[in-house]
Amino acid sequence: MPNLPLIPRRGLRAALIAAPLVAAMPALAQTSYPLHLSNCGVDLTFEAAPQSVVSVGQAATEILYALDLGDRVLGTSVWFSSVLPQFEAVNAGVPRLADNDPSFESVVALRPGLVAVQYEWHIGPQGIVATREQFADLGIPTYTLPSDCVGKDNSTGSDGTRLDMYTMDSLYQGVEELAQIFDVPERGTAMVAALREREAAAIATAGALALDDASAVFWFSSAEMDIDPYVAGQGGAPAYMMQALGLRNVVESNEEWPVVAWETIARANPSVIVLARMDRRRFEADDIERKLEFLRTDPVVSQMEAVREGRIVILDAHGMDPSIRNIDALETLSAALAGFDLQ
Amino acid sequence: MRIEARNLGWREIVRGVSVEIRKGETFGLVGPNGSGKSTLLRLLAGLMPRAAGEVWLDGAPLAQLSRRQIAQRLALVEQFADTGEALSVRDAVDLGRTPWLSPLSPFGPEDRQIVDRALAAVGMEGMAARAWATLSGGERQRVHIARALAQEPRVLILDEPTNHLDIHHQLALLGLVAALPVTVVMALHDLNQAMMCDRLGVMSDGRMVACGKPAEVLTPDNLARIFRVRAQPMIDPSDGSTLFRFLPMETST
Amino acid sequence: MTRRAALSALAVPVLSRAGLGAVLLALAVLAGVTIGEVALPLGLVGDLLAVKLLGIERALDPIEAGILWSYRLPRTLVAAACGAGLALSGVVLQALVRNALADPYLLGVSAGAGAGAVAVTLLGLGGGAIGLSAGAFGGAASAFLIVALLAKAAGGGPAQLVLAGIAGSQLFNALTSFFIAKSANAEQARGLMFWLLGNLSGVRWPDVSLALPVVGLGFLVCLAHVRPLDAFSFGSGAAASLGIAVRRVQLVLIAAVTLMTATLVSLVGSIGFVGLVIPHAMRFLVGPRHARLIPASALAGAVFLIAADIAARVLIPGQVVPIGVVTALVGAPGFALILIRNRRRS
Ligand SMILES: Nc1ncnc2c1ncn2[C@@H]1O[C@H](COP(=O)(O)OP(=O)(O)OP(=O)(O)O)[C@@H](O)[C@H]1O
Ligand SMILES: [Mg+2]
Repeated sequence: MPNLPLIPRRGLRAALIAAPLVAAMPALAQTSYPLHLSNCGVDLTFEAAPQSVVSVGQAATEILYALDLGDRVLGTSVWFSSVLPQFEAVNAGVPRLADNDPSFESVVALRPGLVAVQYEWHIGPQGIVATREQFADLGIPTYTLPSDCVGKDNSTGSDGTRLDMYTMDSLYQGVEELAQIFDVPERGTAMVAALREREAAAIATAGALALDDASAVFWFSSAEMDIDPYVAGQGGAPAYMMQALGLRNVVESNEEWPVVAWETIARANPSVIVLARMDRRRFEADDIERKLEFLRTDPVVSQMEAVREGRIVILDAHGMDPSIRNIDALETLSAALAGFDLQ
Repeated sequence: MRIEARNLGWREIVRGVSVEIRKGETFGLVGPNGSGKSTLLRLLAGLMPRAAGEVWLDGAPLAQLSRRQIAQRLALVEQFADTGEALSVRDAVDLGRTPWLSPLSPFGPEDRQIVDRALAAVGMEGMAARAWATLSGGERQRVHIARALAQEPRVLILDEPTNHLDIHHQLALLGLVAALPVTVVMALHDLNQAMMCDRLGVMSDGRMVACGKPAEVLTPDNLARIFRVRAQPMIDPSDGSTLFRFLPMETST
Repeated sequence: MTRRAALSALAVPVLSRAGLGAVLLALAVLAGVTIGEVALPLGLVGDLLAVKLLGIERALDPIEAGILWSYRLPRTLVAAACGAGLALSGVVLQALVRNALADPYLLGVSAGAGAGAVAVTLLGLGGGAIGLSAGAFGGAASAFLIVALLAKAAGGGPAQLVLAGIAGSQLFNALTSFFIAKSANAEQARGLMFWLLGNLSGVRWPDVSLALPVVGLGFLVCLAHVRPLDAFSFGSGAAASLGIAVRRVQLVLIAAVTLMTATLVSLVGSIGFVGLVIPHAMRFLVGPRHARLIPASALAGAVFLIAADIAARVLIPGQVVPIGVVTALVGAPGFALILIRNRRRS
């Protein structure tokens, strides 16, 4: 707000430079166009709010729905689990381009005013759908959720490597920027405020437990039942949750979802095991029942403290990817910790 | 061992060959290129799939013997046989013992002596350790024959055994073969060498068109008809044996 | 000297060589169970053996003992079986098709296994009732069947088998790529690629009781055919005239090779280079005769793969490298060395 009166005096150039700063101001009731954004290494300029959007990635889709922009969504793609119950009605009216990766042409054919992207591996420098330039060449701007690029190097590691720990701030930034792009900044501000409040409450619940040396591992899935599992590394959303709630992640890799041997996990003997529940049934271990059975029956893993003490928490898999579901996951985990005897 | 072929055939390449080869006989096969000599030898060894006719060995049908039983009676040296393996000469000759070995009777000192004798018979005893790849063509041919000898067969089938051999080894080999107490069937191109066989069969276009003593079979008439050469028989005054001098056919005929 | 006396005279060096082999293998297995991602106390092996084999009561940390007994020992044994099986398959195929480049995957088995695994995981073939391994085995067997039928239709010679194998492999690799392109997202494709390059981390005791008997049987079949294999040196015609029942021997040996490779591929993915390099290295060391080549290759393959698995576990701390990557990293330069030294010798 205090910056606004300065604009006329400094002239148009200064205004352009200051634009991102201005855009970031949360209290504005209206976006002032042209809107300039620096988004994951690409400079974007919006002359007006886009009339339509195609989303590539469930997290982006659900943010758009949460901002009440469902009527502008022409198509969705890259689904990891079923849509959140509160968005079922609006989602029912939106065509699904693909369960997984949409083709470049199927996105372009809808002539969207914007493509909202969750992951750079779909649309990014090595994007399997297309690069951002390919869309830009056709005059279609792309917006990538900052949660996949802030403090993250997507050129190394199979799911990218976190340079800095993920925090909810990058996700909140995505919510607010999308709200600004669509000229509904007040909805973004309100949504972020509500999420922040729930985040703080969940952290406070866990903080009250005064956890001293509690540790955890997040098991996402495994390519085969007994094979080394995909677990959460340092720096992703699960790592953030563990840190926020006072849990130590026993996995030390910086990759988002590294493969780590069960012997390493068993030897580290974490106090809590978190399992991902998902609709996907590509690997046997996608099934939560098969995960639980493995924990019970594997000769070594069944000896782990967390298994013997029954300290197992089941979270929605998509809540482990950067998304507004992180807060649901954080709440579930925090409540579960309060129920365990961890002292 | 006596070999009887009855109405042997394979596709159109060998047709209706019936012949009886006596125990201990050296039987030669002659004929132009592509006349079916190699095919007939393989038929006699029971190696052609879907062959017509029958072969009997000492009154027993070949078809009822196992490959192992056949190999204990009959050894074949083919026209072209090579290997990429880094075998030594001795390794290659050792293979000849294969039909006589089993898990209960592995390669023993007796087998080694047999191999030594076979090597000596072809004059390769000094090269037993040499690698196959380093041998000359004639040396390889002699190793193949040693391998066949090591098989201790009662029938030896040789496809152009003198191929690649120098004149000394050609004569030595034919002498060796003639002296062996086994039945020998061999394809030959040198008609003067063929004269040394006990009997000859002449192949032409898949059929055995003549069979009998060399002098009865290799008549100038037959030679002109089958081999398309003019042959001039000559008598060696030292022993009275017949030699041929070959000349091209006269263009007028 | 009678054959019996000859047998006992030969038996001494054979036994002492077998003894040497057993000691080497035992040392490799010991290294396999003691070296790993997690450092375990050295005395644990002795303690564990006392408990498991002698029934002596000892207080052992259940997790440490479990890692050793339930993870590392089966894994090491399967690595040994796998290395031996692949090396044997390489020896046999190289002899049968008389081609130095023949390897266990020549018959399309590995490509088929990959396609089978992908079909199961990505297309949901079998509705979740069939695991990755079963899918891989089914794929391997059907690929081999197609290759064998094609080779037979093309005339049935060794060259035809090689060509049919190439055609079959290309077909099944294309199917794999097609399935992945059609229905996977990046995360799934990665899990599969990891598996296709070979992974021993999921090995447990039930896998041991499958791999060891299969490879043991394969080894015995190969041992029983050392002379026929030698006889193939000059081609199948020469083998036949040496008394080998060529068709039967080819059938039995190829069946043994297919059973071994299909089983191993379905258990641990397709681990390359072992089946190609080990037989050649052993030819260089013990010569081309199969009576020595077969046991030497089995032993060397077993020891090599145990070592490769150890390297795969410790090369990058805290993370596992696919074992196929290790075998190729070591195998390719090793192979080059053999080629160069071989040329100097001849
Ligand atoms: N497997 C086969 N398929 C088709 N034709 C064949 C086959 N084997 C041989 N032939 C043909 O059959 C004929 C006889 O071949 P064979 O090798 O028996 O002749 P040959 O009398 O031994 O000749 P050469 O004196 O050149 O050795 C040749 O025309 C040859 O091309
Ligand atoms: Mg011929």
